[in-house]
Amino acid sequence: MRLELLWHIVSVEARRRMTYRADFWIGSVAGIVVKFAVAAFIVGAIFRESGAGRIGGFTYQEMLLYYVTVVLMGLFVQTSEREQSVSQEIYEGGLTRHLLYPVSYGTMKYAQQIAAAVPALIQATLLTVWVPWAVGIPEGLTWGSAARGLAALAAANMLHFLLTYPVQLVAFWADNVWSLLVMHRFASALLGGMLVPLALFPEGARRVLELLPFRYLYAFPVEAFLGRVPPRDWAAGMVLSAAWCGVFTLIGRAVWRRGMLEYTGVGI
Amino acid sequence: MIEADRLCKTFLVHRKRPGLWGSIRSLVRRERMEKRAVRDVSFRVEEGEIVGLVGANGAGKTTIVKMLAGVIHPTSGEARVLGFRPWERDNRFRRQIALIMGQKAQLWWDLPAADCFLLLKEIFRIPEDLYRERLDYLSGVLDVREELHIQLRRLSLGERMKMELIAALLHGPRVVYLDEPTIGLDLTSQRAIRDFILGYREEHRPAMILTSHYMEDIERLCRRILILREGELVFDGSLAQVVERYADHKIVTAHLRGQNGPVTAGELAPFGHVDHCDASMIRLRVPRGRVAEAAAELLRRYPIADLAIEEVEVGAIIERIQRAKGATRAP
Repeated sequence: MRLELLWHIVSVEARRRMTYRADFWIGSVAGIVVKFAVAAFIVGAIFRESGAGRIGGFTYQEMLLYYVTVVLMGLFVQTSEREQSVSQEIYEGGLTRHLLYPVSYGTMKYAQQIAAAVPALIQATLLTVWVPWAVGIPEGLTWGSAARGLAALAAANMLHFLLTYPVQLVAFWADNVWSLLVMHRFASALLGGMLVPLALFPEGARRVLELLPFRYLYAFPVEAFLGRVPPRDWAAGMVLSAAWCGVFTLIGRAVWRRGMLEYTGVGI
Repeated sequence: MIEADRLCKTFLVHRKRPGLWGSIRSLVRRERMEKRAVRDVSFRVEEGEIVGLVGANGAGKTTIVKMLAGVIHPTSGEARVLGFRPWERDNRFRRQIALIMGQKAQLWWDLPAADCFLLLKEIFRIPEDLYRERLDYLSGVLDVREELHIQLRRLSLGERMKMELIAALLHGPRVVYLDEPTIGLDLTSQRAIRDFILGYREEHRPAMILTSHYMEDIERLCRRILILREGELVFDGSLAQVVERYADHKIVTAHLRGQNGPVTAGELAPFGHVDHCDASMIRLRVPRGRVAEAAAELLRRYPIADLAIEEVEVGAIIERIQRAKGATRAP
């Protein structure tokens, strides 16, 4: 895709997402604060009840920082998930207009997902301001770890789109895939380290999870950012993340090709 | 420019029995049935031609348009538009076509039209000067320059339709599909859209296919029509041919002045079929070959204040063809 086009899609989509300011503030910022508050209460309760100084290698403060970071980074990863736009467009026939444009549909949708990072950036910036005051500064955080974390976050954004895309395309056959997407979201959040740090899983499960794509959505960029992933492991993780991107690109293309034979363009 | 050769489209649809038990049953077992939406449809449309696709709801009009725009795949048959197979969706093909859907907005609802147009400029790679020129021309002709910067959802239906037209034509398509472009619009907006389409055709000479339930759209815009019935093409010819072929009579209406007593149907029967007769008016269906003779005889026999000879309404003829059985195709 040409850069000018990418810029225009990002710009239009970002404006569209920020059209309704009440929705922007209530739905997003309040949602983030609530998410973090719930995590903080649960983590606090677990530490108090267990009386342990460390759980899964995390102190209470480190655990809080993990949740703050995962909630903020999640804003940049889950951008396509919120609107279920692909499955919705197939279901309602909105896909039709995209089929008339001389641009690949998947690429266009990915560009729209990137656009969602603009409002996410505003929200994340506003919320990051109070993190050092409320939770403290992560010990392992350096310029290097921040750079590695952000690179992993960019890869996570793409992987999340490529992972969700084929699931949304199931709408070609099943019409409504909302429940499938909820299951997918829950599985990603659980196995990807959003709900619980992967360090809390048993050793055997952790080894398996390291090979699966979900870790590279949340846990990997967060841990890299917080300086908990050595550079060598980070490089290996990036390679694995790229490999999963390749696999899901191929799956997405195959499902799209087959699904288009089923498309009826309802609504016109 | 547009060639359809024995196009067929069959949809697989689910049938669900009514009521709660039907819903529970369909969770386990679904009845499926094949619905043949389009059957062996063949036709050609040349440059500068506006062809009307006419048919009742469910006759297959929109399905044909969707196949020719590359939105859906046919079950069988072949089509070439500008030399491309539409459903392969080659980018060179997509840069030269437009589909305007009266029932489905294509622009971004939450944004002003000007923002949407800028995005389309990039999508279709329209050079800056050409984009400015076309936008200026289209918004001027359609009289919506003042509305370009207003959020689309705040515009009236007519204004939105005009914006849809601009969006579809900004890239200068050589083939335009218009699917019920005037649906739901008031008479003034309908007329404005029709005038615009005619003007655009004169100036740019694209091949156009128009589907509409409004006979005025068809009569005003199309010289040639394709009539579909249950997915089959039953007529392909000019509007004049429809009238000639399917209306073997004309309507003769006479208003009487100073007639003593009502005219009886019996005395008018030799002229043709009597639709109406009383002391002030006569309306007859007279065979085409006998119209002049019948008119002269009526003038001689009765005190006629006004006499009108009219063709049967095209809409009525088309409606009859749509209902009739047995395919008929004009040469």
